[in-house]
Amino acid sequence: MFSIWLGAYNQGLAYAGLALGVYLTLRVLNFADITVDGSFALGGGMAAVLITNGMNPALALLAAVLSGALAGCVTALIHTRLGVNDLFAGILTSTGLYSITLRLMGRSNIPLINLNLGLDPLPDMGSGGDGDWAIALSLVVIGLVGLLALLLATDLGLALRALGNNPTMARANAVSGATGLILGIAIANGFVALAGALVAYYQGFADVTMGFGSLILGLGAVIVGESVCRPRSIPMALAAVVIGSILFRFMIALALQVGLEPVDLKLVTALLLLAALALGRLRLPGLANGGKRL
Amino acid sequence: MSLQIEGLCWGHSQPGGSWRQLFKDFKLECPTAQFLVLIGSNGSGKSTLLNLIAGSLKLQAGSLRLKNRPLQHLKDYRRARWIGRVMQNPLDGTAPGLTIAENLRLAESRRRSPFRWQGLLGIRPNKLDVRRFQELLESLEVPLADRINTPVGQLSGGQRQTISLVMATLAEPELLLLDEHTAALDPKAEARVMQLTERLVRQLRTTTLMVTHSLEQALTHGDRLLMLHEGSVRGDWSGAEKAGLSHTNLRELYGSAKVSESNAD
Repeated sequence: MFSIWLGAYNQGLAYAGLALGVYLTLRVLNFADITVDGSFALGGGMAAVLITNGMNPALALLAAVLSGALAGCVTALIHTRLGVNDLFAGILTSTGLYSITLRLMGRSNIPLINLNLGLDPLPDMGSGGDGDWAIALSLVVIGLVGLLALLLATDLGLALRALGNNPTMARANAVSGATGLILGIAIANGFVALAGALVAYYQGFADVTMGFGSLILGLGAVIVGESVCRPRSIPMALAAVVIGSILFRFMIALALQVGLEPVDLKLVTALLLLAALALGRLRLPGLANGGKRL
Repeated sequence: MSLQIEGLCWGHSQPGGSWRQLFKDFKLECPTAQFLVLIGSNGSGKSTLLNLIAGSLKLQAGSLRLKNRPLQHLKDYRRARWIGRVMQNPLDGTAPGLTIAENLRLAESRRRSPFRWQGLLGIRPNKLDVRRFQELLESLEVPLADRINTPVGQLSGGQRQTISLVMATLAEPELLLLDEHTAALDPKAEARVMQLTERLVRQLRTTTLMVTHSLEQALTHGDRLLMLHEGSVRGDWSGAEKAGLSHTNLRELYGSAKVSESNAD
């Protein structure tokens, strides 16, 4: 029984990068970025290909981050240089990324069995591999949260937050909207691709379809985290997002325990989010108006 | 000369497709530290002129120089390094989700791009910055020092406009543009913001262009008064000439009913 919850905890942490990336684009930059659907699978596929070709798993993670950041740049450039609407720019990139990821992988699924991640030196928690995973993933995610919290506290982070808050004011204070968006969306998709790679490591395979619905998953984690923790500062908000990602996995584990079929998970996720939108928990300019009818 | 505008041309197409040439070979020079007040009826080009200087609108011809630095090819956010701006809507000037200190820090650091590696050095605003901003607000007699860590979104319109004004004058701007910055405020807040404007402009000796619809403000503030009509200068008074002006003079010159409407006070 415990192993189910430990597994859910690990999954939550593996998906935390996705939630952090969605938080960065949607909450900080106020940009609805669907690129994440593509960059999540790209990260997973990239890392899987590199590992099966003999690359060190840590370096493969780094490569995944870079590939995701590049994908984010593409969306941001489409939006800022060509003036394409944010949602549409993301859809264009993630659609294109599907083919790119498939080309990269050479087939739709790459198994990662007998993967040696170097987790053996970690203390045995008595629950087999999942204990090691829990420690390793916790450390990685704490690092990610710390990194993002620090980044958002600098002058650069201040500029990004101002840009999402009030673009007119940001421009009047010498902040270039285009540069800010490119940078912010690239960083966010780097986080998302990292999550894709970690998920592939954890579940033991990368699949070209693993990114479908990522934005909604990430958004779910953000909402759950925010409504449970009600954070008052940026570092707290980032921690809340991670907690949300874990709780989200607990909810799914619970749903599966109760007898829900895995096939229905996406439908349930979508319905949960719809309920949150309709109840006004989620106010997103351009996406939702806090439950008010137009 | 601080601000030099020469041969400025700008027009726009109107509903129906016809072209309206607002500015034709427009010329304006402002010496350093001059406080210039711009008046004129709606559509006379006051705000358009400010938008052209700030870079929100593109010059179609002509040159624009600030301290001999050509501006016309720079984007608005690049010009913002030297130009402080306060807009009419108090919601435009500040980021509501950021605290007063964070807003001030953003304005203070606008001489350098935040997207260089220096932008990653250190946590900002730090304790020293916050203390410094509190002292600044106290020295300007702005009673918001104790709310320095409050998100600006929780402040009133007048308070937000006050913060916008302080922000626009941080980082030693070479030019200050005030676009009807008191028009959305109640009379009390208007008086306070104008008092602070006068104080900051005189103290920093910043060249200032202020657009207003209030003849009261036009008569009491500034070193020079410029009246625009259809994109050209209809009147230009300074010194004793400006001091000799009265409400009646100005109203007559406006020569249109629109003015008394928009200036019912």
